[in-house]
Amino acid sequence: MRLKDKFKQLKKENRGAFIAYVPFGFPNPSATKNICLSLERGGADVIELGIPFSDPLADGPIIQAATTKALANGANIDKFFSCLGSLDKVLTIPVAVMTYYNPIFKFGISQFFKQLKKYKVSAVLVVDLPLEESDEYLKQARKYDIDTIFFITPTTDKERIKRIVRSTKGFIYYISITGITGPKDIAYGAITKQIKGIKKLSNLPVCVGFGIHSAKQVAEVNKFSDGAIVGSSIVKFIEGNYDKKDFLRRLERYTASLCMK
Amino acid sequence: MSLPNKKGYFGAFGGKYIPETLSVCLKELENAYNSYKRDSKFKQSLSFYLNEYAGRPTPLYFAQRISKQLGLKVYLKREDLLHTGAHKINNALGQALLAKHMGKHRVIAETGAGQHGVAVATVCSLLSLDCDIYMGAEDVKRQQMNVLRMKVLGANVIPVESGSKTLKDACNEAFRDWVTNVRTTYYLLGSAVGPHPYPMMVRDFQAPIGIEARSQILKKEGRLPDYLLACVGGGSNSIGLFYPFFADKQVKFIGVEAAGFGLGGYHSASLVKGEPGVFQGSLSYVLQDEFGQIKNAHSVAPGLDYPGVGPEHSYYKVSKRAKYEAVSDDQAVEGFRFLSELEGIIPALESAHAIYYLKPLAKKNKGKTVIVCLSGRGDKDLDIIKEYNQKKQRK
Repeated sequence: MRLKDKFKQLKKENRGAFIAYVPFGFPNPSATKNICLSLERGGADVIELGIPFSDPLADGPIIQAATTKALANGANIDKFFSCLGSLDKVLTIPVAVMTYYNPIFKFGISQFFKQLKKYKVSAVLVVDLPLEESDEYLKQARKYDIDTIFFITPTTDKERIKRIVRSTKGFIYYISITGITGPKDIAYGAITKQIKGIKKLSNLPVCVGFGIHSAKQVAEVNKFSDGAIVGSSIVKFIEGNYDKKDFLRRLERYTASLCMK
Repeated sequence: MSLPNKKGYFGAFGGKYIPETLSVCLKELENAYNSYKRDSKFKQSLSFYLNEYAGRPTPLYFAQRISKQLGLKVYLKREDLLHTGAHKINNALGQALLAKHMGKHRVIAETGAGQHGVAVATVCSLLSLDCDIYMGAEDVKRQQMNVLRMKVLGANVIPVESGSKTLKDACNEAFRDWVTNVRTTYYLLGSAVGPHPYPMMVRDFQAPIGIEARSQILKKEGRLPDYLLACVGGGSNSIGLFYPFFADKQVKFIGVEAAGFGLGGYHSASLVKGEPGVFQGSLSYVLQDEFGQIKNAHSVAPGLDYPGVGPEHSYYKVSKRAKYEAVSDDQAVEGFRFLSELEGIIPALESAHAIYYLKPLAKKNKGKTVIVCLSGRGDKDLDIIKEYNQKKQRK
């Protein structure tokens, strides 16, 4: 499923998206498929699947530790694509791939998008690839019809926002804080104002990520945006429950509690 | 050709590969630097501190005994004689003055060997700036004396427990801090690495090394040297020496990286054994695996223990303006002893890599003139040498 179809559906249902982030390979590569399916059953509207990177400089301790563990347990880009292959036929919600640039650069930009197309990935987000460095990336993404999601942050000025929205497809990722991933308090007032400003410049859905870790925050954020992205608290839940017998059921219930389904 | 171009590229290398949060502040930094580098008051102020406080110009010392033994004419550019004991003070002064001009009151930095950390702590004390220094927990252990120096100078030293607990991880933590506190904080990056404008800015602040060396050798020898030799970790002392000679095509540049335990194993030789990749803000040579994950680096010299290198060096490598070689831990320690015993100068273990390379260079270059950048002094490394000797004795 593509993001645009999902957002159309959500609009009809008059609700915001719940986007769940998990790093591929955490706690080990064979676990990711079932984790994604649990997240879907729990009510996630989109899966944001991370390709682990050794030096995730925009991530906080929770995701950093998870990606380190994933890499130590053998996660790599080849296994990541195998996992996408196994999800292809069973997952019905859109998948957006999030990563840092070097794994893509090393794999080959064109080859990377070709593979994403093969496995029906809807969109890509690259944390350390700003607009200015993305010419080839955008060219290949358009060639293979993959959405490119760029970030807007509290420090992004209006002129830059205008340029960013022109290259963004799928949805705009609004980073709620200046800072790294991980549970935080969210300043709803300031974010509401900024999202209103972005909406004047673009018709794309705007989803909010970084810092969101509770059902209350998800509900609040979805009042003024088109979606809430939750990562660290899901990762923390997986870390704390993975060795329990009914882990997948627990994860499903936890996801449902976050999106209040 | 201007190096770098407007986008911060040296040929195919450089750029700004950074999280969006940092985009605006890097632009602000670039604008501030471009404006202040032409500002006469800023230049006067920097020049005053470099001369009166740091101790520039540094001597270009003719090393008689090693010259005689090797059959070369060896000159040492004595950056070890600067205040705080290394070339790092040049860049720290330049950037701290810039931070002050930009109205930033808090400075953060990363450090490996501790030399950059000490330099930053020193200038922050001088200019009354708050100072937090990230240092890999492993390096905190290896460089106790420098940790103490930073603390005495009023800096807060934050040990980094993630990853390999060395310089690369200290850099990541500094970036994370900066992403979080970008509005109030200046990141004083210690080498010619990272996103544009850092590689250009650090090179410019380190260029007095080469500018002075060029005029000094012309006075002493009446000609330019045949070789410039310097160690390369991130690459700031070497680019500071090389860059002012860039147009002097007859002068050959040799950068010496750390081969650590050997090039087949655990080392820090990004240019010799790495591949182009995107790491900590720029596209440059980097040590990485087949999946683009950054490898841990190793060197007996904590300041070289870094899996990346500045993009200008990558450009020098592919354009063949410079040649890059690698020297092992054992050879570096040999270089350390060689200079200490023959000239009465204890070099930093980083610089000892370049010193050692004089030996293979001498084999085919008798009578040639070489300038070696002695980037820092070796007092900080005595514990490492002691431990190294103990390990060798046990074997």
